[in-house]
Amino acid sequence: MIQYDDGHIQALMDAKDKADLKVSTLGQFHLVLDDNPVPDNWGRDKAIQLFQFFLISRNRLALHKEQIIDRLWDESGSDQVFKVALHGINKTIEPNKKSRGQTRFIQRQGATYKLDMSKIWLDSQALESYIEIGNHVKGMNNELAIIAFQLAINLYKGPFLPNRIYEDWTTTERERIQIFTLGAYISLAELLLEEQPNESIRLTEEALNIDPTWEEAYRIQMAAHIANGNRPQAIRTYKRCVDVLDKEFGIAPLPKTVGLFESFIG
Amino acid sequence: MSKESQTASFLLRFTQKIFEDEHGESNVQWRGKISHVQGNDQKNFSELKEAMDFIQSKLSEMTLASISNDKSDEEKEGILNKSLDMWKKLSSNYPKLVVDAIKDPKGQVTQLQEQISSKAEQITNRLDLESLRPTSKSDFNSLSEQISDLTAVLKKLQKKVDKIDKKIGKS
Repeated sequence: MIQYDDGHIQALMDAKDKADLKVSTLGQFHLVLDDNPVPDNWGRDKAIQLFQFFLISRNRLALHKEQIIDRLWDESGSDQVFKVALHGINKTIEPNKKSRGQTRFIQRQGATYKLDMSKIWLDSQALESYIEIGNHVKGMNNELAIIAFQLAINLYKGPFLPNRIYEDWTTTERERIQIFTLGAYISLAELLLEEQPNESIRLTEEALNIDPTWEEAYRIQMAAHIANGNRPQAIRTYKRCVDVLDKEFGIAPLPKTVGLFESFIG
Repeated sequence: MSKESQTASFLLRFTQKIFEDEHGESNVQWRGKISHVQGNDQKNFSELKEAMDFIQSKLSEMTLASISNDKSDEEKEGILNKSLDMWKKLSSNYPKLVVDAIKDPKGQVTQLQEQISSKAEQITNRLDLESLRPTSKSDFNSLSEQISDLTAVLKKLQKKVDKIDKKIGKS
């Protein structure tokens, strides 16, 4: 098991500085190539789709062209569509590439393709790495955990590829990142509960903006209001929790939540 | 995409809550959320039937939106009824499929594979079931990827079934 320390955080921060291509996918889609914002030279949307699909598939083995066409475009795809889309990517992120020259970012072997992630910084990947560090050190090195979770949350500017919410090939990644992020908000709110209750309240509110049924967020928020000496606000948070769970699931809060409520009204 | 061929994708999220009740007995509660991808619509649920009803309503909406206005009311009703019948057949099996998948992912994949094998001889890329031992993270990821691939194959199969249905309807 990896023993995480400050060096891992630093390495992640350095990786962003060293990357040739920086890609933002959270809240918006934006590229920075060699420290310059990438102009919109994609040509057509299918080129952007292909590049985004490469990003989503970054942890898989290289993908066969047919497989990509099938997953991404189904009946509207073809070899020609793929070729045009790939050309659009190259024109955008490798504007100085000579025809038939070596590509910087896309590795090709026969008819299989993959991004070379050693040259690319991806915000969602960095967010996941920071959360991984936070989760591993939480309870052992809370100072480091707080830094890691804060760095992760700073990267979360909104859902993954928000302009693709209607396309099913992006859904799994969006859901995965959202669950990680909710966990980070809750963990950080919990770690800051005693020393910074107001920040805890803000963080739980952010989590509830993402998912209003996240019961743990209500519980931490109640505790933070109590730490602030604000019992009426804690009662309001509990009532909100009861209302939301009843409306959305037709269920009551967990005994742990009810127990916390009873502990401060009794 | 033509109106004859449309796709509806759904994402199911389950959150498990384990807690002790007032008698000190352990309990498990499942909270679910289903999202319709193409409509960006979602619903929370505590019973699977609610999720099935949500899917049915979205599929009915899709069928209705696909029926062109030049069709008679009788024809429209016939198409909608066929769509509902297909869903009824599917939904009577799906709660069990989902529960089985949670209990035994490998067994569930086997069951799905048998269903596909019996219905589509064209499918040649079969799952290597012996490699599906979800005992580690990498195995689990591999299993997820194969299930994802399997879902894509199922979608294709569904389209073929739809086409055959149409041909039968015409003849």
